[in-house]
Amino acid sequence: MAHIVTPLDQPSNYKDSQSRVDRQTQNDLLSKTSTLYVGNLSFYTTEEQIYELFSKCTNPEDGGGIKRIIMGLDRNTRTPCGFCFVEYYSHAEALACLRYISGTKLDERIIRCDLDLGYRDGRQFGRGKSGGQVRDEHRQDYDPGRGGWGAQAQRAEIERKREMEERYNDAQDVPGAVAGGGGDWKDTEHTVENPLKRARSPEDEGDSGRGEPRPKVEEHDAGRM
Amino acid sequence: MSYHGGHRKRQPRENYDRHEYYETPDQKLRKNIIHYGEVDPVQELPRLATQIGEHSPANVPIVTEGFRIGVTEQPFKIPYYAALLRLLHDRPAAEGANMSFGRQVLEDFWKGFQAFLDKQAWREIRLCVQFFAHLTVARVVSASSMYELLKSFTAVYSEIVLVSHTRASKAGLCAAEGLVIAGVVIKDDSNLDISEIVNGLRTYVESTHAAKTLVQPITQLHCDKPSLEHAEEWLDCALAALQTLCASDFATTADSVPQPYLELPPVPDAPFDLPNVLVPPDVVELDTLTTESGEDVQVKKEEWPQCYVRLFDDDATPDPTTPAGFILRSNILDIIDIFEVNRKECARLLLEYPKWTLPGTFKARPGAPPSPPAEGKNWDLDNTLIETILGACFVLPESTHKVIYYITLITELAKSSPITIGPAVGKSIRKLYGLLADGLDVEVAHRFAEWFAVHMSNFLFSWPWKEWIPDLALVPQHPKRAFMRRAVEFEIRLSYYDRILRIVPDAMAEPEAQVMPDQAPGPEFEYEEPGNPYHEAAQSVLNLLRGRAKPEDVMTHLETVRNQLSETAEGNVNVDSLLRSITVQSLLSIGSRSFSHFLNAIERYLPLLRNLAAGHISDGGVPHAEARTDIMSAVATVWRRSRHMVLIVFDKLMQYQIVDPTDVVAWTFDHCPAVTSRQPKTTFNAFQWDLLKLALDKANGRVMVQRKKVAVLRREADDTAAVAIAGENMEVDADADLAPAGESPQLTSAIKAFTVLTREQKSALARAMDGFIDYLAAKSSSTKVAEVITEHAWHNRANWEDDAWETWETWGWYRHWGRTYSSYLRNYKTTLEAVASDKVRISNSSDPDPVVELFRRTWNIAVGQDS
Repeated sequence: MAHIVTPLDQPSNYKDSQSRVDRQTQNDLLSKTSTLYVGNLSFYTTEEQIYELFSKCTNPEDGGGIKRIIMGLDRNTRTPCGFCFVEYYSHAEALACLRYISGTKLDERIIRCDLDLGYRDGRQFGRGKSGGQVRDEHRQDYDPGRGGWGAQAQRAEIERKREMEERYNDAQDVPGAVAGGGGDWKDTEHTVENPLKRARSPEDEGDSGRGEPRPKVEEHDAGRM
Repeated sequence: MSYHGGHRKRQPRENYDRHEYYETPDQKLRKNIIHYGEVDPVQELPRLATQIGEHSPANVPIVTEGFRIGVTEQPFKIPYYAALLRLLHDRPAAEGANMSFGRQVLEDFWKGFQAFLDKQAWREIRLCVQFFAHLTVARVVSASSMYELLKSFTAVYSEIVLVSHTRASKAGLCAAEGLVIAGVVIKDDSNLDISEIVNGLRTYVESTHAAKTLVQPITQLHCDKPSLEHAEEWLDCALAALQTLCASDFATTADSVPQPYLELPPVPDAPFDLPNVLVPPDVVELDTLTTESGEDVQVKKEEWPQCYVRLFDDDATPDPTTPAGFILRSNILDIIDIFEVNRKECARLLLEYPKWTLPGTFKARPGAPPSPPAEGKNWDLDNTLIETILGACFVLPESTHKVIYYITLITELAKSSPITIGPAVGKSIRKLYGLLADGLDVEVAHRFAEWFAVHMSNFLFSWPWKEWIPDLALVPQHPKRAFMRRAVEFEIRLSYYDRILRIVPDAMAEPEAQVMPDQAPGPEFEYEEPGNPYHEAAQSVLNLLRGRAKPEDVMTHLETVRNQLSETAEGNVNVDSLLRSITVQSLLSIGSRSFSHFLNAIERYLPLLRNLAAGHISDGGVPHAEARTDIMSAVATVWRRSRHMVLIVFDKLMQYQIVDPTDVVAWTFDHCPAVTSRQPKTTFNAFQWDLLKLALDKANGRVMVQRKKVAVLRREADDTAAVAIAGENMEVDADADLAPAGESPQLTSAIKAFTVLTREQKSALARAMDGFIDYLAAKSSSTKVAEVITEHAWHNRANWEDDAWETWETWGWYRHWGRTYSSYLRNYKTTLEAVASDKVRISNSSDPDPVVELFRRTWNIAVGQDS
């Protein structure tokens, strides 16, 4: 089937970089797995929200269902850090999520789903230097659903705040303490690409640096006649 | 790619360059055939025909494969593939044979069609028939052989063995679609009697009337004939389209299907005679298993007539009972079905569909070159697509694919074409909402709310709720108000309370409006207040659990508490029930932070829960019905403000075997209303349906899983036995009497487990049957049950109070139960009817009591016996 289009339930280039299993075994495992990795979640999305959406892909009449949900946590703070594993009872249910749910919104964010080799202890924690996910380490955008700025940018922000607080403690209230100014000055804009930023991969999608040009959905208004 | 870790190794990824592998000229040719016509099918036609003809060495199989894939996976291109094959008939076959290249391909293609027939791949068979029908009009295939092919499909109606609906309807559609396309040439041969095919189809369609009353999207309890208002049945459409064509002597064919081959000169060869075929009989699975009382547990989903809800007028969307509308709908349904594997591509193909239709069929898109509208057409593509997708999504008793597929397909359409799809979605929502007051089926209303919530969650929850404010004047249980409540509840599940509070207008946010709950969903611990007489007892249990005390220590403590309570409790308090309530509520309270917390709490105290479910504390025992009821009631009490959590917890209680599906069914009928709405009722609502479905699916799912296990073990045992016998024969030429193949211990215990599980399955179904009888057909049932089913009452529904709507809904869920689980009910018919016989006579001929009669008729349709 499907000579015309590529099915959405093919394994993508997502992988567990710390898995010690060889490529062939990984592929075999993926062709049977009932575990999903779910990414680009908001830090505030609850397991019950995840349960609600992902239960729409279950096959209870075939003995399926949601077995468990493992929330991805920041290693240091033990707070959600934007990913999770959803474990079903059957492989077909995981595939259905790739076809029907991956690339749609949960909690108003476009989430991505990938087949996962299966949960092992320790995998629930972020692997970034600051405790969260690696992608949040170097993120340059402000993402309110994922703790604002990326971890490094956040550290820079804290540093800026400290500098700011110290900056004016030498302020004086004598005449001439406030400078007059100068002429107009033209800015020459240039931005520096962060060399550490994770590059996009072709299968990525969604906002926050994950993919295809995002379709303009904002104009959609079902209420319009 | 390195996903974790900042250092990236720049390596080409394995599957990155999959488009760059080397293609052989043959593969390229096949690809060109498959992708034929994507720019302009008419312009590309001669060019592609030349390319195929000049391809050297000629490769018939590869060309045929291109055609086969093209025809069966891109139904919208079929007329153009027919034109292409017609052109190939102008080219001689390679070695100066007396046959054209086109004829060779056609003969090869026919073999592929035979293979589809043998496999009973109905969609592929049907699309091939469309292709042959076009070839008949193109004079490539002889009209008489096409007629014989179509007749062999309607021949299934005269088979001696009772034909299944699946087989009958699929075969009927093949005949109908073929005739709609090819009738225009078949009628020219006076020896071929078209009416024979049409009559065969009509006779069958008439025999399905009773079944239609149970699956039509608009419920009319007072009618025992299908009244397809706002809906069409698919085989009816096929028949109607055919009859219209016959009436006009097939004059409107050219106006209904593209015929790009008509301009081409006549074929040099004599027309090809399609060989005779026999539609093979249904596959009978030999690997069967029976229950202890001998019922077959092979569950084959019986297909029902396919009723599609219709939302728009004939000038906005094509009427599927007309030839043009039927073909358009058929194509769109096939695209939805074939491209289920990739909803994004599916959305793209649907939006591009007009280019494959006759000019003027659909209104020109904004920005597209204007084409003159065709008379009586000029339909709106967006409305047509949304109407068709929703129709497929709302098919009863269940849609072909998961509901979520249709939902996200619409999401993709709305993302691709927001300006045009947005309004079509909005109009569809308003139409469906309007139908809620006119008997929209309870399950359709349920799916409508689900679609609404998921769709809105993808589009900023923007919906003009304001326009429904006047409906707040309706009684609270009116379907429109029930819909608002449910839609909001589903939206909150996908989002969160405060977010949804922000989007509903103030008038709906008020607690009196009964749209928004008065607070966010959360747990409620009954013994929380210090004023509660059992506050301290509960606190002591809570603290132990919170400190993760060992289950044995908790049990010891509970025994102490039990003794204290039985000394101090006043009145006739059931101390055991009280203790179960305190324990389960405490356990859920500690597990209330998240689904995982709940799972951890349950798993830690499984031994305790099992003892409680047996009516004890420190030791186990046989299941104790009252204890289990207490456990479930405690769950529903704690999660009174979150029905979602009740469903989640019940699911896991069954999974951990604290309660059985039958317990859940019983609780749903006997205790659910009292606990959840603090008022005992004998009506059944959507939430109760969710619980019932949860329990029955669990019971059925277990049997299904066990069935597979037994099948695998049996095969293994057979293999071992075969090897053993073969081995014996090798050594000594012994009298190998085929002794019962050594059943492995695993197989024996698997079969035993299977017996237990089928018993549980039957008991859960029987309990549901009993529940519905009590609510609807027993002597003790409420008087409303009879009132709401009369025609007079229905026309007076604007004046209905809550109890009338609740009773009407109960009838709706009974009907849905019957059609959803009909294949199981059929298997256990005798047992279930025996269960019922104490309270109501359902197996006899019609009953003078209209209530019993409606109950009985519904049952008989569900189990597939003449009523």
